[in-house]
Amino acid sequence: MNTLNFILGASLQPNDFTGFTFFIGSVSMLAATVFFLVQHGQVDKKYKDSMLVAALITGIAAVHYYYMRDQWAEGLGSPTELRYVDWILTVPLMVVEFSLLTGVGMAKLFWLSVGMLVTGYFGESGVTGMLDAQTWGAVAGLCYFWMAYEVGALRALSDGMPSGAVGDALASAKGKIPAAGKMLQWYVLVGWSIYPLGYMLGTDGWYSGMLSGLNWNMDIVYNIGDAINKIGFGMAVWSAARD
Amino acid sequence: MRFSSPFFLYFPMVSSHNGLLTSKIIGLIFSLSLIFFDVGDSYSSIIFIMIMLSIGIPHGSVDHIIAFLNPESRRFSSKLHFFIAYISLIIINVIIWVFYPFIGLTIFLLISCYHFGETQVIGYNSTKNKFLNFVVGANILLSLFLNNIFELQEILVDFKLFSTLDLSSFEKIFFLLVSVSILMMTIVHFDIKKKVPLYAELTILYLIFYHTDILTSFSIFFGFSHSLPMLLMEYEEMKEKSFLIFYLKTLPFTLLAIAFGLVLYYFNNSILTTDNLILFVFIIISSLTLPHVFIMKDFVKSK
Repeated sequence: MNTLNFILGASLQPNDFTGFTFFIGSVSMLAATVFFLVQHGQVDKKYKDSMLVAALITGIAAVHYYYMRDQWAEGLGSPTELRYVDWILTVPLMVVEFSLLTGVGMAKLFWLSVGMLVTGYFGESGVTGMLDAQTWGAVAGLCYFWMAYEVGALRALSDGMPSGAVGDALASAKGKIPAAGKMLQWYVLVGWSIYPLGYMLGTDGWYSGMLSGLNWNMDIVYNIGDAINKIGFGMAVWSAARD
Repeated sequence: MRFSSPFFLYFPMVSSHNGLLTSKIIGLIFSLSLIFFDVGDSYSSIIFIMIMLSIGIPHGSVDHIIAFLNPESRRFSSKLHFFIAYISLIIINVIIWVFYPFIGLTIFLLISCYHFGETQVIGYNSTKNKFLNFVVGANILLSLFLNNIFELQEILVDFKLFSTLDLSSFEKIFFLLVSVSILMMTIVHFDIKKKVPLYAELTILYLIFYHTDILTSFSIFFGFSHSLPMLLMEYEEMKEKSFLIFYLKTLPFTLLAIAFGLVLYYFNNSILTTDNLILFVFIIISSLTLPHVFIMKDFVKSK
């Protein structure tokens, strides 16, 4: 085993559950990437871009989880920066999946994801020197809710709920797309909610005090949530694409 | 040549351009190796030299043949005419750099944006939309520079307006966010046949730009996303019996280009660059690039 350690900068300590979730995150994302690439060759031509994007999302995440595991194992603390790098690159790709399945809404979803990421970053970093974390967070949250509305996330609960153009297109699509769309809507509604929650719980001035009282580690939530969201997202697309 | 390995499915949209596909896969594997084996920035100069000598310079070393191959590109009445025009452009560019470095840099950036973008869109869109070519190239260079902006300030130390900018309050990630946002705007608002695959490929490039230093970033992009695809397309166009024969044909002008660099370095002085080797190398590249851009513009017209 030691012979393989030249690849890794540092080893995880025994009983380091958080570090283990970084490791699991990296390995599961890598496995999912291989799976999606293999499936890319099996699916119909119209789904090939979707499978490619699914593989790219997990591939990018695998690289970053590898870095994050290393940073954590070296005792450098929570890898917030690397997490943001991962999100900046993968969130737009995730919203693209909706457009690839429906053929509508790419511009709007792109704009909203830019808005969410930029204002979220401004709030967490304080780089602008203007406004407080709550205000920036509110704008980022607004972008998230708008995006959730556009893709019809509430329709995961009931078909009669309001939805934007993308959600309507998902519902009226042929084949397995409506069922896959429903799974994606669940991911946006429940899975993606960990990000604004993490923002509120982890940013000073909001509810950061709650975490210290609970002795809770947001990295574990993010690691498990990320793996479920990213791999699950790809699996939902794959379920629509397979024969 | 057909690929069955899943790795070669990474860029299925360019399956008709095997050269593009092959080189980008090689670049991806190379980049991932750098990341996973943690090669570190100290080897960036060696990586840069290896890639420039083996792929970068050779891809422009058959311009004198390419210029006469494509019927659409025959704008030179003779080889002599071609060489006079070609060498004159190189000399003019060096003179501009010596006396007006800011103009030299501006010309280099403008033509690079167009040239890099033009070859980048092959497989995703026609190269006829010149503005799109320019914007895609500008996106790539912008991302390369923004994601390594603190290093760039050290390289362009003579350009006081830029190098003295206080960017200390900005984290590196801010610049990644800016470059990704601009890319998204570009993809959304331009009429591109294969938007998502182009966006996906550029995302991989941005990931590499963020995680590697400026020289390695440039080497990987220039080598595997630009030069190697062009080299393989030139090989296809020239219809040589084997790649080795084709590659041997690139050698004379590759060696001449290296000699040109060495001669210029010998006369290097305070007017050009004193101790800024990276800037000096970029001046050489920009000088060799200027005439090459015009030849490639015709070459990729029908791609």
